[in-house]
Amino acid sequence: MPVIAIWLVRAEIGRFYGEKGWYHVIYSRPWSVFKDEFFIGENMSEQFILKIENLSKKFGTHQVLKDVCLEVAKGDIYGILGLSGAGKSTLVRCINGLEKFDQGKIVFNGKVVTFDRDYRRQVAMIFQQFNLLDQRTVLKNVMLAGELFGEKDCKERAIELLSLVGLSDKLDSYPSQLSGGQRQRVAIARALMSNPQILLCDEATSALDPDTTQQILALLTKLNRDLGLTIIMISHQMDVIEKICTKVAIIDNAQIVERGNAQDIFLFPQTDVSKKIIYSGHINTSVDNTKFLKLIFNGEIDTPIVANIIQDCNIALSIIYADSKVVDGRVYGQLIFTMPADVKDAQKLCKYLDLKQIHYEEVVASEIR
Amino acid sequence: MKFDDILTMILETLAMVTISGALAYLVGLPLGVLLNVTSQKGLKPCKWLNFVLSLVVNILRSIPCLIVVVLLMPTVRTILGRGTGEWYTIIIPLFVTSFGFVARMVEQSLAEVDKGKVEAVQSLGGTNFQIITKVLLPEARSSLIGGLAVTLVSLLGYTSFAYNISAGGIIAGIWRYYSQNTGDYLEHPVFWIMIIIVILLVQLIQELGLAISKKLDKRRILQ
Repeated sequence: MPVIAIWLVRAEIGRFYGEKGWYHVIYSRPWSVFKDEFFIGENMSEQFILKIENLSKKFGTHQVLKDVCLEVAKGDIYGILGLSGAGKSTLVRCINGLEKFDQGKIVFNGKVVTFDRDYRRQVAMIFQQFNLLDQRTVLKNVMLAGELFGEKDCKERAIELLSLVGLSDKLDSYPSQLSGGQRQRVAIARALMSNPQILLCDEATSALDPDTTQQILALLTKLNRDLGLTIIMISHQMDVIEKICTKVAIIDNAQIVERGNAQDIFLFPQTDVSKKIIYSGHINTSVDNTKFLKLIFNGEIDTPIVANIIQDCNIALSIIYADSKVVDGRVYGQLIFTMPADVKDAQKLCKYLDLKQIHYEEVVASEIR
Repeated sequence: MKFDDILTMILETLAMVTISGALAYLVGLPLGVLLNVTSQKGLKPCKWLNFVLSLVVNILRSIPCLIVVVLLMPTVRTILGRGTGEWYTIIIPLFVTSFGFVARMVEQSLAEVDKGKVEAVQSLGGTNFQIITKVLLPEARSSLIGGLAVTLVSLLGYTSFAYNISAGGIIAGIWRYYSQNTGDYLEHPVFWIMIIIVILLVQLIQELGLAISKKLDKRRILQ
């Protein structure tokens, strides 16, 4: 009884100091066997499956990653957006050890990662160029992941996974006989062989056409939902990230400039880079002080707002950017149009929007471009 | 010259080529893998080892075959009991001149394997040894077979130096036939028949290599 009591007290102390980090130096040593269950397990691993702390890397004198911090919770679909050369690919390759880093650490389920084979099994990866073995059949490609660990009876599981990704009729085909989308499906099945907790997607849809991209994204969403798979995907394509990600980090010039919920970042991008990525190609005006009005759809508007403005205020609008998506039956998105040139019209419009309780912002071209 | 003699010469040549080729691959294949693996972009870069191996291979490749034959005559005598006069006395020199060449070809074939495939298998938890046996060698197999055909053809050419140590074979046979009939050798059908046999042998090796290489290459299967 006293032993159990002490245990419980220690567990409570562990819980209490869990976030401060130093507790386990003092408390967990004699209990190192139980460390994960009693202390770290309660506090960190449930919250964040993967934590990246102050990761830095240089290629020669060129800084590729600088003090990158990222926290990924279990079940997240975390998108990392960035322009080419921003360092996003290096970041994701650091996560599974394909690339070494100079400083910082990666914590997986509460433990600092040492990139051993078992960790690699937990963190699978798919690639832009699929990287299947051309000389093996589809089935053999998927079985390879089991073969590496000496699993003799991995055939059934491979077949199971291939039917999960919708390729049960292609078992004996070679990769050269498949389309791009089918190849990526094989790569996904291969990655799932080891029952990973995290799937890294390195520009996984960038080599695919729009239709196929949608299919692969749907498959990834399904895996996230059905298997509880945490997904980290990097892309330079806004729409891919926007489509499925719950969290987003925007990386520019080796640093993460913005991160948070996908909704917040897409509706209210703070930094120039984010705006550039989010509105890319939509806004082109030579006059930098042109005023725009940005309407935010935060899920509460359910009336045809533009039509109403035109009817009720008798103002002609010219829309230059509009984007919305429906989540759980509510509309989220934004609409940008030029401010009416007439001052009175503009005042009338703002009043009208206030009246209807629609969230709006005044922006100038240089801010959103 | 009788038909039997020509047949013996063909068999001698084939034996020389296959045995020295097999020995060359026994040493050259692991050496080529090692060269690829230790190279700067390889699985386990190791500058000094790569440098030493490259040096050995380069030196071996730059000594002309005829010189190797002369240099190794005493060694062959120690190992096989005689240094000249029998078909097998040419095998060790042929092996020594060609394994460096084989190593380079293997290294080149492996370098053609897409680095992404290696990374994919690394990300699945594959060890370096598994990557060599399950990715590099199988994925490069049709290129390796192509290299084998080229090696065998060049070995066939090198068997001509068997003449210098009276080791026999069809090419040495052609030269001997010429030296016995210096005045009118071009008018003898036998002389031409032997040349045609050599051409056919080369074609056979090359076409066979190409066919196997194509058959094994699953990249080219169409829908």
